[in-house]
Amino acid sequence: MDADRATRTEATLRNADVVMAPERLGAMHQTRISFVRTLIRKMAQQQWKVSKQEWQLCPQGFGHVIYKLATPHHVYHLVVFCDQIADNERNDRVIAEKWDVTFALVYGYVDVSLLEKLRSNVPLQEAGRNPNNVLVLARANKSVRVFEHIVSHLAKGVQPNPKDLADVGYILRTTAVYGNGKFGIADFKLLEKNPDFEQSFSAQMCAVYLLRAFSLDWVNYLAIQRGGEQATELHSELQRYLGVGNATGLGMAPYLINHPCVVDQWMTTRETALAAVLDGATEVDKLAPLQVLLQKAIRHLEQVMTINETQQKLNAIAVGELKNLHENLVTLVEQSQCWRDLFVHSQHLSLETQEILAACLMELYPELVDVYQEQMNCDETLSLPSGKKIQDLLLTLEKNYRWAINTDFSLAENQYWFWYRSQDKEEPRLGVRGEEPGDDRESLLDIGRQANRLYHALLGQAPELSLVEFLVQYPQYRTIARRVWTMGHKAMGDIQMNVLHKASLPMHLLRCKLSMFGATTFDPRSDRWVRVTFFQGAPLLDEIHAQTAKDDWLFPLLPNHNELLNNEQPLGSKGL
Amino acid sequence: MIVSHNELVAAVNKAFLGMRRSCGEADIIANMVADLQIVGLHGVRHFNNASAFMGLENDCPADIKVTGENTIEVDLHNCSLACYLPVVMDYAIEKMVGFKSLKIEINNCHNRWLAYSELVKLAAKGIACTAKWDNGSAPNRTLYVLNCGRITPELFLSDEVNDSDQRLHDMSIELSVRDFDVARLSEGYSMHVDPNTFAQAQNSAWKNGIFIEDAQWSTLKQTATAILVENSEQSVKGAGGLS
Repeated sequence: MDADRATRTEATLRNADVVMAPERLGAMHQTRISFVRTLIRKMAQQQWKVSKQEWQLCPQGFGHVIYKLATPHHVYHLVVFCDQIADNERNDRVIAEKWDVTFALVYGYVDVSLLEKLRSNVPLQEAGRNPNNVLVLARANKSVRVFEHIVSHLAKGVQPNPKDLADVGYILRTTAVYGNGKFGIADFKLLEKNPDFEQSFSAQMCAVYLLRAFSLDWVNYLAIQRGGEQATELHSELQRYLGVGNATGLGMAPYLINHPCVVDQWMTTRETALAAVLDGATEVDKLAPLQVLLQKAIRHLEQVMTINETQQKLNAIAVGELKNLHENLVTLVEQSQCWRDLFVHSQHLSLETQEILAACLMELYPELVDVYQEQMNCDETLSLPSGKKIQDLLLTLEKNYRWAINTDFSLAENQYWFWYRSQDKEEPRLGVRGEEPGDDRESLLDIGRQANRLYHALLGQAPELSLVEFLVQYPQYRTIARRVWTMGHKAMGDIQMNVLHKASLPMHLLRCKLSMFGATTFDPRSDRWVRVTFFQGAPLLDEIHAQTAKDDWLFPLLPNHNELLNNEQPLGSKGL
Repeated sequence: MIVSHNELVAAVNKAFLGMRRSCGEADIIANMVADLQIVGLHGVRHFNNASAFMGLENDCPADIKVTGENTIEVDLHNCSLACYLPVVMDYAIEKMVGFKSLKIEINNCHNRWLAYSELVKLAAKGIACTAKWDNGSAPNRTLYVLNCGRITPELFLSDEVNDSDQRLHDMSIELSVRDFDVARLSEGYSMHVDPNTFAQAQNSAWKNGIFIEDAQWSTLKQTATAILVENSEQSVKGAGGLS
């Protein structure tokens, strides 16, 4: 981090102890600089064009489809393969070997030879090898219930029941979206100077957005195949409401631990954007839009379907608090000189509510916030400068790693879990230490424990001793020393979570990353798996092409009765 | 076999972590291997050679002593250079403060080709470096020279054996704030690979993928499985069920 930024941000950013606490990371929501929001704005502003190049599906919907994406700079193609699989083969875990849909985002054009190569490899996913003009490799499964419900209704010429769609929110659910060189595809380095996808994960987000377009085209196509002239298209409001689902498991958690600079960059950028808003004076003409956003958040949370009782309770608490905040907003804003005053006033509320308010406030000021959307990349080097002494690193640890050095790792509960990778497709898993085999091959995600051990080793040394001389004698500490020094001198630093603790919830890590991506509708299926939706409420391709896309899809809502009646397509019998 | 940089780094990282050594840093070693492979200098082969012995090597700190005003001597106890070079270079840079040059004599070490990455990093920071060593088989003598700011080295090789002063398990590194006289240093070396050749190889690998011999990649992937835990009914539950 440069000195200028450090000086500028230290005064206004929330403290790292607040932001990087796991429970707060686990309460994060989409903001307008989440990656999906940035992508859609870019697509609309730069008038990206998407067109169907090939539609080679049989009447049952199996075969392949190719979409062309033309930006002002380059041409890409999304190649989608749809295969018939048995219901018992449909598995969202990484150990699955068959999927309803597999797809690849390709740089440039797809000739016959490349198509055949992709056909032989993309459906195999991890077991295939793809050329390095493939930017993204991914797969998705159907929500069978929603898929059948939509197609059967459209085939009969009626719209599906909105309530049934709201229970799920998507037609297809991705189970892995690979980029950055995985399984031989293009390294991110190749995209660093590409103006379309120079921001990390933007190519992956784009592939998922195009998959959403495909999922809508697919159900409309199958409805016609099944219903002929009687069939109708899915109502555009319902199309917009449907996103792409995503099932994310433990596999995402190691990324956040193993890429601390990236996480710091994301969080620092988000906090800097938030601070830019909070430092501004309250404005009367922002009151009404803020009320609308809070109302949207309330309705969104009320519409979220989750089987997870904890999340249900958190959502219910947030709804109650947001209603109260909404009722008292006029008074609260009048009493506030700047937005920070209002924000500080909310600090007694639940973390969900606080983070929703943060997202809403950021939404009010695109001119202040959107400039940060291009600041998500960073140098990931972890290094130690020359000339440092033991006392310098001790100071860094005491200032930034209290959460680690104050933990007593001799207590069994503080190192209850061990993380490891299974021989089964290298799937990350958790085992109970001392009870399950594999702790001798434990993944080194125990940053808190390593920092703690480093601290105690340093305490045994003379404070004036050169750090380098210490590391010559104790080279086993060099990796964690590099990390502690580097992260300890960044604005947000490491995630403050002992992932070995018996009560630690990997879910918090998953939600942090997913919300930076821009996921909504968090539906934890256990403490290690979550289902979310991407691009729910996002403009449709037609709207992007017609320059009518609206950038207002924070907290997506099921279309209301009037919105659905403003169209001649007949509605289903049950819903409205 | 064509692989991506990320794929290569991940494989070496896992392979090294699977050795469960105290000395040596997986992320740095992974980049040492990738940096060497990407310029066509067989990083994976050198790592595979190293990994065959790492499990048998001492896992203890290097012995470093200052033997003169600007000379340090390092004993690696017949271990791989990859596990120690970063900390040795940190030490050397600190000792170099106030001097214009520094000589590092590294004794009893293996896998000297893997020094490439650390030397390139130093050159980028404005410190010129040379590294030279003798080998029991061809090429019998090797010299890297990286003057300040260079991102790829001049490489000199020779099959002539220096009978009088052969040090088959040692390496000499020299650091300087001034550029080296490449012509003088390279006298007696019969083969020369210029920096542009490496730069071109690097650019091509980024663009088209990194070439690795199939057998070497297969060995590396096999080594990388050491960290994996066998599957079981109990283990499957450790991923957390999906309803």
